[in-house]
Amino acid sequence: MFKKLASIVLPLLFITNTALAGSDPILARQDMMEDTRDAAKVIGGMLKGEQPFDAEAAMAALHVWKKTAAEAGDMFPEGSESGHETEAKATIWTDRDGFNNKMADFGAAVDAALAANPDSLEALKGAAGPVFKTCKGCHEGYRVEKEN
Amino acid sequence: MKRLLIAAGLVALAVISILWLTRPVGLTAEDLPGYTANRENGKRMFFAGGCASCHSSTGKDSEPLALGGGLAMHTPFGEFRVPNISPDPDNGIGNWTLLDFVNAMWKGVSPGGRHYYPAFPYASYSRMSFEDLADLKAYLDTLPAVQSNNVDHSLKFPWNIRPGIGLWKRVNLDNSNVIQLPDKDELLLRGRYLVEGPGHCGECHTPRDWTGGMNSARWLAGAPNPDGEGKIPNITPHDNGLAGWSESDINYYLSSGFTPDFDTVGGSMVKVQENMARLPAEDRAAIAAYLKNIPPLD
Repeated sequence: MFKKLASIVLPLLFITNTALAGSDPILARQDMMEDTRDAAKVIGGMLKGEQPFDAEAAMAALHVWKKTAAEAGDMFPEGSESGHETEAKATIWTDRDGFNNKMADFGAAVDAALAANPDSLEALKGAAGPVFKTCKGCHEGYRVEKEN
Repeated sequence: MKRLLIAAGLVALAVISILWLTRPVGLTAEDLPGYTANRENGKRMFFAGGCASCHSSTGKDSEPLALGGGLAMHTPFGEFRVPNISPDPDNGIGNWTLLDFVNAMWKGVSPGGRHYYPAFPYASYSRMSFEDLADLKAYLDTLPAVQSNNVDHSLKFPWNIRPGIGLWKRVNLDNSNVIQLPDKDELLLRGRYLVEGPGHCGECHTPRDWTGGMNSARWLAGAPNPDGEGKIPNITPHDNGLAGWSESDINYYLSSGFTPDFDTVGGSMVKVQENMARLPAEDRAAIAAYLKNIPPLD
């Protein structure tokens, strides 16, 4: 009897736990930011001359950013202001319009970069530069000062 | 009666000594050498010093080089309001002589003989050379005049008592070098000058001791954010700081805003980085060399 019960309950517990972890907005957005940063590494590495230019990889990275731009706005719901060493700054919630504007700037710059379909290092520089600017633009006012 | 007189005399003496000890001490015109200013270098000092980071007009549409002030800085001491330093003769510093400017930057003393609060980082600017100050003043004179009024600071007791700043200066205003370096390495010496002087990096990256001065034993080892949540990072060459960064990583960060991991600069460092990006590359290289050669602190 006990075994039977356990065989039903334990997997259920596992499923709920995973679901809960998956739906924690702080963890989810931290994952998203890491993906975004990894994409920046791909493009930044090319611009810096550490990696050879690769149009396909660059476009793939731009698509990661596109996903961030589409999803990020919803990943800072009320109630996710603290925990998991979040670096989200209180200003996201006290100045939501300002934050949304910064996110919109990012989205617009990414769309323009995708539309440019950069086929050379020079073109990538021109396309990605404005996107990079919008990263800083949001991190300036909406991310907490932190240790390295 | 006699005792009363003695007591009154002692009190008077105490008041006079306190006023004397805390009096603002400036320079006189004879202290300054003759000099022809170089505006190009003044502009370089303007970006090295990050004047616009704090003094830019706060209005959304104002020009980037309009230094009308107005920014509110929320600190544990109360609220500081950044003043207008545009060339406007009434509200800015348009009527200032070079002597007035040097006294402000070296001594933290206003043309009217008052102490400035050290939120204005003259504890660092006091290390700037006279020539660089004269050049900077000449450059500031070319910027647009803005009429915006100044707003008074609103500080908590006892910090609202200005003569107290005189005592603070006696303890903390010292224009000697923080880090001792060999005299021969021009790059390192330039880096030290930029970091300890105009760049005023220590003002945020160095923790303060109980007197409110920068704790030189913890030079650039990171500190609480003076203006809000979070921490200002350790930028010494320690594992907790920049040990993993090469000099060219630091240079790249200051010019592009990207860490070696392609995380971006954030918070109040964004404006600092954008100023540093406008310096000649050799100045950023000098800053990087200096940061890799100071004592690593955890």
